[in-house]
Amino acid sequence: MTLTDTEQAPQAKGGRRLSTSKAMVEAIAQEMERDESVFYLGEDVGAYGGIFSSTTGLLEQFGPKRIIDTPISETGFIGLAVGAATEGMRPIAELMFADFMGVCLDQIYNHMAKIGYFSGGRVKVPMVLTTAVGGGYSDGGQHSQTLWGTFAHLPGMKVVVPSNPADAKGLMTSAIRDDSPVVYMFHKGIMGLPWMAKNRRSIDLVPEGEYTVPIGKAAVARAGTDVTVVTLSLSVHHVLDVADTLAGEGIDVEVLDLRSVVPLDREAILASVAKTRRLVVVDEDYLSFGLSGEVVAGVVEADPTLLTAVRRVAVPDVPIPYARSLEYAVLPRHDRIEAAIRSVLP
Amino acid sequence: MTDVVFPVLDQTKPETEGVLATWFVADGDTVASGQLLGEVQVDKVDAEVTAPVAGTVSLLVSEDEAVVQGAPIARIE
Repeated sequence: MTLTDTEQAPQAKGGRRLSTSKAMVEAIAQEMERDESVFYLGEDVGAYGGIFSSTTGLLEQFGPKRIIDTPISETGFIGLAVGAATEGMRPIAELMFADFMGVCLDQIYNHMAKIGYFSGGRVKVPMVLTTAVGGGYSDGGQHSQTLWGTFAHLPGMKVVVPSNPADAKGLMTSAIRDDSPVVYMFHKGIMGLPWMAKNRRSIDLVPEGEYTVPIGKAAVARAGTDVTVVTLSLSVHHVLDVADTLAGEGIDVEVLDLRSVVPLDREAILASVAKTRRLVVVDEDYLSFGLSGEVVAGVVEADPTLLTAVRRVAVPDVPIPYARSLEYAVLPRHDRIEAAIRSVLP
Repeated sequence: MTDVVFPVLDQTKPETEGVLATWFVADGDTVASGQLLGEVQVDKVDAEVTAPVAGTVSLLVSEDEAVVQGAPIARIE
């Protein structure tokens, strides 16, 4: 099964390569070793190692008091994490699929996100809510959404979305150390799982030892001068593939990987658009009322004269279909991304 | 010279083929003893393969290639 229809990357010599899931696990393990107040809880996170390998091996290393397998009880265990965080622990609670947020949303946006505000900043909630997002593997409309726009819309939570192994490690470490609640959203298609994806960039060099990536700083994944593509998560890889193709025609695409949705690195977006004057936003979330509109609005508010052309590539406002052909038709994939980039060029 | 073999994950049917799912190292890399080399899969069971000794690794099979359990998949010199 493939989520990106690209050949395997030429294998770099030297350095230590990890999959995204292993990089995530390494960050969690290093922080658990460093800080006794860090613990992890969720469904199938113990012996099974997380259904997307987010906790593989951690039970053996840290035992059941710190790697806690919960019943199917999201409201209960996320509430437990919120309470533990207010008492000084640093829990990481895994919501298996972001799509399941509905059953526990009160704990997330009324408690986790707002206790700091309600208490006038006197009570902190230093917890991480991890959750798997994204489609492309025929898992139906209730297992395939990204929903970062929804989490980002509700104030009080930072929202980070890594696209590669090194960022997965660095953002996880930063999220655990942050005194605010952080939602950490990992796309199944970037995890490098043996049974799912063959995304050529899902296995890459990862720094050993402690490694942090600042929350709220976008990264230029590819520098270019003709058009800015603002994107995140799995879409970064699709856009880089398209940029490589277009480079053969002399079209120079700049690719900005947001890495954090909240805070949003508006300065980085503006700096890139000021250079290229053309903007495409590629977002695997729904089109309306979401991240893609926010990015465009932010640019226009800052300087209405900056843009000469803009396009959005997102999921149309329909549930993600199960059938592969229909699913691929709604997801922002190479064909739609390439067409959007071409459409903003002079 | 040390062979790295595909682990026998299905003890009841050791002749079962698995798949070399992922290499984390490239042909010719220098690896440390115990370093993660790759992941293999038999049916739906995954396992990691680590380097038994330090040295230069030669990969004998490609990603997604089917391999009989117990067969050599890499060589370290």
